[in-house]
Amino acid sequence: MNPYLGGALLGLVLVAAFWISGRGLGASGAAKSVVVTGVKTVAPAHVEKTAFYQDYLKSHTNPMKDWLVFQMLGVVVGGFLSGAIAGRLKFTVEKSPKITNKIRLIFAVLGGIFFGFGSQLGRGCTSGSALTGMAVLSLSGFLSMAAIFGTAFALAYFARKLWI
Amino acid sequence: MKARIILATAIIPLGLIIAAVPENTTKPYKLTAEQLLEEVKSGTQFMQPDEIADMVIAKDPTLQLIDVRAADEFEKFNLPGAINIPLVDILNHEWEETINQDVKMNVFYSNGTNDANQAWMITRQLGYQNNYVLQGGVNYWAETIMNPQVPPSTSPNEEMAKYDLRKGAGMALGGAADASQPAVASAGGGAKPPIQKKDKKKKVQGGC
Amino acid sequence: MGPLVVYEIISENVNLFLAFVIGIGFGFVLESNGFSSSRRLAGMFYGYDTTVLKVFFTAALVGSVGLLFLGLFKWIDLSSIYINPTYLWSTLGGGVVMGAGFIMGGYCPGTSFCAASIGKLDALAFIGGMFIGILIFTEGYPLWEGFYNAKFMGSPVISEMIGTSRGFLTLLVILVALGMFWVGEWAEKKFARDDYKLNQK
Repeated sequence: MNPYLGGALLGLVLVAAFWISGRGLGASGAAKSVVVTGVKTVAPAHVEKTAFYQDYLKSHTNPMKDWLVFQMLGVVVGGFLSGAIAGRLKFTVEKSPKITNKIRLIFAVLGGIFFGFGSQLGRGCTSGSALTGMAVLSLSGFLSMAAIFGTAFALAYFARKLWI
Repeated sequence: MKARIILATAIIPLGLIIAAVPENTTKPYKLTAEQLLEEVKSGTQFMQPDEIADMVIAKDPTLQLIDVRAADEFEKFNLPGAINIPLVDILNHEWEETINQDVKMNVFYSNGTNDANQAWMITRQLGYQNNYVLQGGVNYWAETIMNPQVPPSTSPNEEMAKYDLRKGAGMALGGAADASQPAVASAGGGAKPPIQKKDKKKKVQGGC
Repeated sequence: MGPLVVYEIISENVNLFLAFVIGIGFGFVLESNGFSSSRRLAGMFYGYDTTVLKVFFTAALVGSVGLLFLGLFKWIDLSSIYINPTYLWSTLGGGVVMGAGFIMGGYCPGTSFCAASIGKLDALAFIGGMFIGILIFTEGYPLWEGFYNAKFMGSPVISEMIGTSRGFLTLLVILVALGMFWVGEWAEKKFARDDYKLNQK
C-alpha cells in the first residue's frame, strides 16, 4: 500500500476512535493490563500490599475489561487478516543478514524491556502518546514524538550492525 | 503523479480552510448566545448583599467570595474570606478548578457590578455553574451593610427590620455600627440558590 | 453528538466491541503498510526506508484535520475528547528510554503485536521484553514515583500555549510534515541498500 494512502487510512481510524470513544489509539496500556492481571493471578498477596497495584486496581476494577485490551485484540486480528490476504503469514526472525538469530532475539527482548519501561514512564507509547497526542496538538504528544524519534536517531549509529 | 503531490494537493487546501475558520466555531462553547441572553435577561446570577452578609456571618462553608478587582485594590480592602482572581486572569488554568466546580457557591464581586458580571458571563459561557455576582459590588456593600442609613421613622416595619438586620451584619463584620443598638440575629431565610451538580456527562478515559 | 460514548449514545459494552473493530482497522492498516517488519521500522533511522515517517505523520495530519472538521460541523465536542497530560520530565525521560528501545528492538508496542500476528518471532521476543519492562516499572514504582509525577503541566494544547488557533497550527504542521516527506523521499534514494528492497507502490 502506498504509505500516504496508508497514513490517511490510519488517520481516519484515529478520527473514528475519537468520534466513537473520545480517545485515540494505544498499545502499551493493554500490555500493562496484562502485566497487572498476571501479577494478580500469580501473587495476589503481593498485589494486596503494593500501593501501585492497589491504586491501579481502584481505577480499573477489571483490568482486562479495558478499551485498549479490546483494541489490541483487534490489532492482532486485523494484522493477521492483512498478512493472510497478502500472503505474508510465516514464522521468521527478521534481521540484518550480518547477525545471527540469537543476537537479534536478545536485542528484541532488550528493546522490549526498554520500550515497556519507557512507555509506562512516559504515559504512552508511539501510538498512545505520540500519534494520538499529535493529532490533538497536545504538548506531550509532540514532546514524546521528538524524544522517541530523536533518541532513536541519535543512537542509530551505535545500533547500525543490527539493521544494515 | 507522485503520491506525495496528491497528498499535498488534498491536504493543503483542507488545512487552509481549517486555518481560516474562526476558532470559536471549531471549538464550540457549551452555551449558545441565545441561551446566555436568556440567563442575562432573567438576572438570576445576582445575589443581594444582605444574603451574602448573612452567609458570611454564618461562616457558610459553601460560600466562596471572589474578588475580580486588581491585586492592589484587593490588598487595600476585601470582603471576609474572599480570594483574588483579577478579571484579566479569569481564564488562567490555575483558577479553572476554582471557578468550574460543583461544591461551592462562587460569588464574584468588583467595585460596581460591571466587572463581576463580566467574569460571570465568561464563566457561564464556558458552561460553568454555581457562579454568581454580588449586586452593586463593594460600593453598594459599604453603603448598605457597613454604613446603613437609618430609614425615616415613617417607614414601614419591613424597612426597619431590614435596617436592624444590616446594622447587625455590619457590626458583626466590623463596620461603623452603633453599639447601643441590639444586634439582630440573622435569620436564615436567605434565598440561597442550590448548588448545581455538574452534568453527568461521562468523562473519557485515556492513556496508553 | 460525538464522542458517542460521552453522550451515552452507545453503552460501555458496545464501546468495548467497537474498540475491537477499531483495533482491526488499526492492525490491518499497520500490517498492510509493512509496520510488521522491524527492518522497515528501523529503516527510518538509517534513511533507507522512510515509510514509517510518511505513514505516521500523514496519519497525524489526517487525524488532526479530521477532528477539526468534525468539530466544525458539530459532530464531535472537541472539549470532551481525551488530551494526554504533560508531565514534562517523565514525558521526555520516557521518550528517551523508548527511543533506545526502538532502535534496539525495532518495534514499538503496537507494531510488535501486529508483527507477532503474522508470525514474526522477534516480535514475540519484543513483547516478552515489554512485559518484563512494564513489570520492572510497576514493581519499582516507589523508586521513580517522584520523577514520574514531577513538573505536571495539566493537559496543554500547543495552539493555546503559543496563542494561535488550532486550525492555523494544523496548517503549519501540514507544511512542516510535507517538507519532511520530501526529505524522506530524497533519503530513500540516497541511502538505498542493495540487500533491502523498498516495496511500496
